[in-house]
Amino acid sequence: MSKKAQATGTHSAHETQLRRWITVGKPADQLYALWRDPATLPQIMAHFAEVTVINETEADWLIKGPLKKSYRWRSRIVEEQPGVAIAWESLEGASVPNEGMLQFRPAPGEWGTELTLTMRFNPPGGAIGKKVTALLDLFPKEQLSKALHRFKSLAETGEIPTLDGQPAGRHSERKDEEA
Amino acid sequence: MRALCWNGVNDLRVESVADPALLNPHDAIIKVRLTTTCGSDLHVIDGLIPTMREGDILGHEFMGEVVEVGSAVRNIRRGDRVVVPSFISCGSCWYCQHELPSCCDNTNPHWEQGEPVLGHATAGIYAYSHAFGGYAGSHAEYVRVPFADNDCFVVPESVSDEQALFLSDAAPTGYMGADFCNIHPGDTVAVWGCGGVGLMAMQSAWLMGAHQVIGIDRFPERLAMAREHAGAITLDYSKADIHEALLELTGGRGPDSCIDAVGMEARGEGLSQVYDRTKQLLHLETDVGAALRQALYSCRKGGNISILGVYGVMDKFPLGLMINKSLTIRTAQQHGQRYMSRLLSHVAKGELNPAFMATHRFSLEDAPRGYEMFKHKEDGCLRAVFAP
Repeated sequence: MSKKAQATGTHSAHETQLRRWITVGKPADQLYALWRDPATLPQIMAHFAEVTVINETEADWLIKGPLKKSYRWRSRIVEEQPGVAIAWESLEGASVPNEGMLQFRPAPGEWGTELTLTMRFNPPGGAIGKKVTALLDLFPKEQLSKALHRFKSLAETGEIPTLDGQPAGRHSERKDEEA
Repeated sequence: MRALCWNGVNDLRVESVADPALLNPHDAIIKVRLTTTCGSDLHVIDGLIPTMREGDILGHEFMGEVVEVGSAVRNIRRGDRVVVPSFISCGSCWYCQHELPSCCDNTNPHWEQGEPVLGHATAGIYAYSHAFGGYAGSHAEYVRVPFADNDCFVVPESVSDEQALFLSDAAPTGYMGADFCNIHPGDTVAVWGCGGVGLMAMQSAWLMGAHQVIGIDRFPERLAMAREHAGAITLDYSKADIHEALLELTGGRGPDSCIDAVGMEARGEGLSQVYDRTKQLLHLETDVGAALRQALYSCRKGGNISILGVYGVMDKFPLGLMINKSLTIRTAQQHGQRYMSRLLSHVAKGELNPAFMATHRFSLEDAPRGYEMFKHKEDGCLRAVFAP
């Protein structure tokens, strides 16, 4: 099954919410602080978006799609409950208006903290609405999982697993160029 | 450096590629001293494993010398002679902390490729497709090893390179398979497949107190190795009725534990083999599984089935045998880090000796020839070992 088929199978024209979960073996306060570290978001989203942190609460997002299409928005944090939840939404002028939330709750036993990441894309309808579907094709739920896993790896090991720059016999530089 | 690259189905070439560099703070660079073929490589080479990319460097079973360490590496030093398990484990996550290193959550950069197939991605492994991490393999002069403190095991002087080599994958896989059998005094352990993993499972079963060990295969030279190096009674499935023979050896009970060290390459006999192979060739099913079905059938009631062979997503499985015979099934990709200190100690004491499996040795430049011999079991080739 292709990723596209999965994405369209999961998201009807009206359903534009993605939600993924992860358990990280660290206390919620520590994870909250790591998420708020300005260096974190650009690293964990690097596989699909170029994120530039502007200030304490705002960041610019750029997603490059096929055929030189790109999607941009500026997000602003709108809710902060340390160790519990953090929410953000895109500002006026977003090519695809969206909002996101990360929730924290203690996990049982030695598991640490359970995180829930929700992203909601608000299609304006009509032709632009089609853009959202295209974006969701670029950003299926697996990409959201991947962002959470990159966050978890950063929290638990201090690094994000990568192949970027490893040798391979496929192009002139004989190196991989991927996240 | 030179490296053996996969360029498509059955297209292996030794090429010049960049040297690996430290990419993360816990990385080390290993100068490969020995690296070997594994039966599971054949699935990759034959194109049965999706998400390989042209140009991927093959090889996941290796040992060598540390030549460079990252800024966060504390215990491993330049010059250390080390063996490295094939699955990459961070040492920090819940799975690594609970002795399940091949389930590590933090070493697979391609979570999004593993999750759709398996529900949850595995740990990363060297050279076993991108759904399994996509890491460059060890059939090269140098290889990058992430989480070096956790994954590099210093080899004591009393253990040779060839002994250490197989502690990377074949020995821990076989040892784990025997461990899964929960062996009690008096137990009979039957092992399907007398390749490297099967032979290691047989040696390990003795170490864990088995009363009788039986090896099943059809290649005379492999059956001979099982007798000579693993003290097994051997059965040739192309000649004997395996079920009858196992009943005869166990007073009609069947083996207490059965280990499948074959996996999806398992050949059956007769019509069911034709059906299985046709489906495999048409990619309707990647598994054949004759060995596993036979093991379930012959295992004694209440016995253990330990599955080490690599399978895809099997579409028919005789579940009724498990239920009605009260069988316990245990399986995993190898948890090498869990067993490494025990294995090194067994080898140092002379209780386990995997070195005999290195039947054929080649330079790295001759690696494609080595794989040909290994694949077709030419000249009794059990394992082709490359010395870059």
